[in-house]
Amino acid sequence: MPVATVGLCVVEDEKTGRVMASCVTPVVSEMSVRTDTPRVKIHRKNILRLMIAEHPESCVVCSKGNRCQLRQLAAQLGIGETHLYPMPNYKTLEQANPFIIRDLSKCVLCGKCIRADHELVVVGAIDYNLRGFKSRPSTIHDRGLEHSSCTFCGTCLSMCPTGALSPNNPGYTATPERESFSICGFCGVGCGLAMGYTNSRIVEVNPANRPDTVNRATLCVRGHFAHDFLNTHERLLQPMIRQHTGSDENTMAPASWDAAIDVVAGRLLEIKSKNGSQSVAFLGSSKCTNEENYLFQKIARALLKTNNVDNGSYLSGRHVINLLEKRTNGLSRLSPLDWLEKAQAVFVLGADPGHSTPVVSYYLKRASKKGVPLVVADSIRTDLAAFSSAWLDVSTQSDFEGSYIELLNGLAALLYEKKAHDAHYIKQFTEGFKQYSDDLSTLDREQVSLATGIDVGVLNATAELLKGKKIAFVIGSGILQQRFGMQTMEAVINLSLMTGSLGSEGAGIHILAKENNQVGAQDMGAVPDALPGRQPLYNDSDRNRWEQFWQTEISPQSGLNMIQMIEAAEKGNLKGLYILGENPLRSLPQPDRVRKALAKLDFIVVQDILNTETVQIADVVLPGAAFSEKGGSFTNMEGRIQSFDPVVPPPGDAHPDWEILGSLAAKLGDPNQYASLGHIRDEIRIRVPMYKALDRHNHTAWVAVGDHRQSDKDTKKTKTMVSFSPVVPGDIDIGDELSTTDYPFTAIMVSVRYHCGSGTRTGCSDRILKLGLRGEIELSPQDGETLSIRDGDTVRVVSSSGAIKRQVRFNKRLRQGTISIPLAFNGNDAMNLLAMTQPDMPDSPGWKTCRVKLEKI
Amino acid sequence: MGPKEIDWNKLTAIIAKHKKEKWGLIPLLQEIQELIGYIPPEAIEPVAEALNIYPSEVQGVVTFYSGFSLHPKGKAVVKVCRGTACHVKGSRSILKLMKKELDLEEGETSPDYQFTLETVACLGACFLAPTMMVNRDYFGKLSPTKVTTVLGQYSKDKGEQ
Ligand code: SF4
Ligand code: SF4
Ligand code: SF4
Ligand code: FES
Ligand code: FES
Repeated sequence: MPVATVGLCVVEDEKTGRVMASCVTPVVSEMSVRTDTPRVKIHRKNILRLMIAEHPESCVVCSKGNRCQLRQLAAQLGIGETHLYPMPNYKTLEQANPFIIRDLSKCVLCGKCIRADHELVVVGAIDYNLRGFKSRPSTIHDRGLEHSSCTFCGTCLSMCPTGALSPNNPGYTATPERESFSICGFCGVGCGLAMGYTNSRIVEVNPANRPDTVNRATLCVRGHFAHDFLNTHERLLQPMIRQHTGSDENTMAPASWDAAIDVVAGRLLEIKSKNGSQSVAFLGSSKCTNEENYLFQKIARALLKTNNVDNGSYLSGRHVINLLEKRTNGLSRLSPLDWLEKAQAVFVLGADPGHSTPVVSYYLKRASKKGVPLVVADSIRTDLAAFSSAWLDVSTQSDFEGSYIELLNGLAALLYEKKAHDAHYIKQFTEGFKQYSDDLSTLDREQVSLATGIDVGVLNATAELLKGKKIAFVIGSGILQQRFGMQTMEAVINLSLMTGSLGSEGAGIHILAKENNQVGAQDMGAVPDALPGRQPLYNDSDRNRWEQFWQTEISPQSGLNMIQMIEAAEKGNLKGLYILGENPLRSLPQPDRVRKALAKLDFIVVQDILNTETVQIADVVLPGAAFSEKGGSFTNMEGRIQSFDPVVPPPGDAHPDWEILGSLAAKLGDPNQYASLGHIRDEIRIRVPMYKALDRHNHTAWVAVGDHRQSDKDTKKTKTMVSFSPVVPGDIDIGDELSTTDYPFTAIMVSVRYHCGSGTRTGCSDRILKLGLRGEIELSPQDGETLSIRDGDTVRVVSSSGAIKRQVRFNKRLRQGTISIPLAFNGNDAMNLLAMTQPDMPDSPGWKTCRVKLEKI
Repeated sequence: MGPKEIDWNKLTAIIAKHKKEKWGLIPLLQEIQELIGYIPPEAIEPVAEALNIYPSEVQGVVTFYSGFSLHPKGKAVVKVCRGTACHVKGSRSILKLMKKELDLEEGETSPDYQFTLETVACLGACFLAPTMMVNRDYFGKLSPTKVTTVLGQYSKDKGEQ
């Protein structure tokens, strides 16, 4: 809706000669307007002259430069001198925060920033304040943005037509020379970026604002400002090889690419021939491209004959996602986010997209504003609670993670009781409903209320809200990484089937992906138990096809996952490890233990872009390229395959990772020469049915839905029957529970929007660092009082695995007995608190929470 | 003597009364303005939460309408008319006198929260020009003596309370 604020859109009515603002004048029949009559031009010119007269002289050094629409229009209308008495309207310049400079003396009051803030990202940090000459967009109490609810997404900044809002960019204050399209390398939303560069250096990032992107005109603070890490001193610039200079001494020495690749190929083959192919492993990357992950796992499987391949997605609940994939025959792979705004109802479970995947939260809040009912269940009150129709504050008692199961089953039982199940759908597409509904009938709702800590009345109201609707689910790390992730996912699938939701538009199961290409890395087979295209190793026909194609034998046995690799290294069974763009010393629990295990290896290659903790212990370091320095494709959480070209060349002697892997493959004897990205992409397109839409052009493509074996013959994908799973109670006996007297608190690991994953990259971003966040743990004031801890005190947090020190901040909204610990701070030290277990094993307590005690220091 | 104490209980009750109301913002703000004499900035966030709108929007409305104020005002709010008719009849010297008498500039409130001095464009009583308004009462055909008398009347109130 246009709002008529600036008045430059004037047109003239041909009949009456009236001059009017075109944006708010309704079109009537027989109307005829002219857009460039002399009168219109004079009006426009006068309005613009007034605007310029009000503008300050700092206009000449404005960072908007020639992108300023005021200057562009002045040029077009031929306004040089305004011939008006200058009356600059000085307002305070605000630049206390590291991201956005507000110089409201340049504001033309167009209101675009306010609309971006209210309508696109739905934050509401700013609105018009005051009237007349004094009027301007302002935060509450007119304080700096850093004291408001602003998330520094920068969406308003990219919208602002003048220099009133400009990026706080100490390194560069002009218009970038050129701009190219790319895809954000942080989270799994995969936002389209317009990356501005000057002299091969990325100097500014804005939303690509293209209709074929997931984010359109929005971004989050990471996408907008955290790409500073691309230019950090910590970038790796040349290959290095560890040289032994004495019996116990060694140094890293620069090497040529040929020498480095020689050493890597030579050592890996040597280890393999000496200790067998199970003694080498490949840890791939949820941040590298599809093409790179494909080559990487091919090197492992076809050239070193091992299934020991994994990537960081293992840490983000891949076992839960696998379960969904398997149970629904791949029907839920496709989940476009714009479905959310068309949904009948959305159920958000254990997800805090406002921090983990901010653009998803914009979609949800916009949906809510449009009237889509949002049900939000979490154990910590998130930003979404305020936008929800039902906020379900899931209890955090000691074994609370099972309460999500109770909650889902309880709601299903209530819906069944209200006869709100989709009988037609159930009959046509599902199996096992009889058993399921019988189980539901036996559920005691008082018990559900007790287990979840949610009032029976609230449960009832929620069921009423969901009645008769298809439900879209949004699932976050609160489910994916917790102890009962799989059981909870079963309950979600049951509810989705019962309401006739699964497989229809607007009722997807959206899995929040924390890493930009965790979906693609899995699709490309950089996992120990599946081949490219999510084809399970144990499936003979799939495996045989790849064996034929690669001219090799592939074991049907799964290889080692990330944690098993560490355990094998500890035991001395693993000898060589190739790490591509992962930082296990920072992302895995118990970093000391990981360090000791890796020290036992004979040979470690690390291919990365930054000088990480893990690079420090490598024998060979191969400098790769960041996403903006190479071409390729990423697959986002929606199943959208997005291709991109390099924006700038890699720094120093760094190379695109696919090139490095291509030379290594050749050196290891691969007969295929991967001389260009196109070769790799052709191979993927032909061999991986899920990716048949991937071509050599940079189109957005979508993964193919459903099981390829069926979709090849039978295109009616919905014919696949999906079965209900039996109802499991939430009070699963976990047996090994730590005593609540020794460890009285439940610590929940949370993400903050300023960091991505373990913070390796965002921790190298100047402007994120400048913000000076300390990553305080949060605690309820009541608990603080009991322990005589004050807001701002430093405490030791102790679990059965380790301890960390942090400052405390009170949060009134936390339940007593719960604390939250932000990830990615202080070298991601929070991982010291978690036990290194395999999250997919039944006895694993998961990675989302742990029991802790607090000690005052 | 400071500004009127904020009665938070009453304020919370007003907010609660309008909770979730669709077009409740203006009536709610009016009630608060009525009760307290201004909109305490601390009330903005609770109001926004109750109506499920952004605090920045509430602030925008408060600062847009001259009927709302974010600052405590004096017990007597004096509005001297500066419209055309009054101007012709000498409202400029009335204002000057007022400033001197009260020792206030336009928009200011006395430290004892007795008086606030404001000007308005037209009070709609031009036949009585020059005019002014004190709280809800009109005074017309002003002369220097009349101004002093009226002010005296309101200062006297001070003694009584
Ligand atoms: S940066 Fe984002 S959150 Fe902050 S005011 Fe602008 S649009 Fe709103
Ligand atoms: S700050 Fe920029 S976008 Fe916002 S109203 Fe002013 S000119 Fe428009
Ligand atoms: S971090 Fe995620 S949400 Fe933010 S800009 Fe990048 S892809 Fe988008
Ligand atoms: S008045 Fe139409 S866009 Fe400004
Ligand atoms: S101009 Fe003073 S009352 Fe009208």
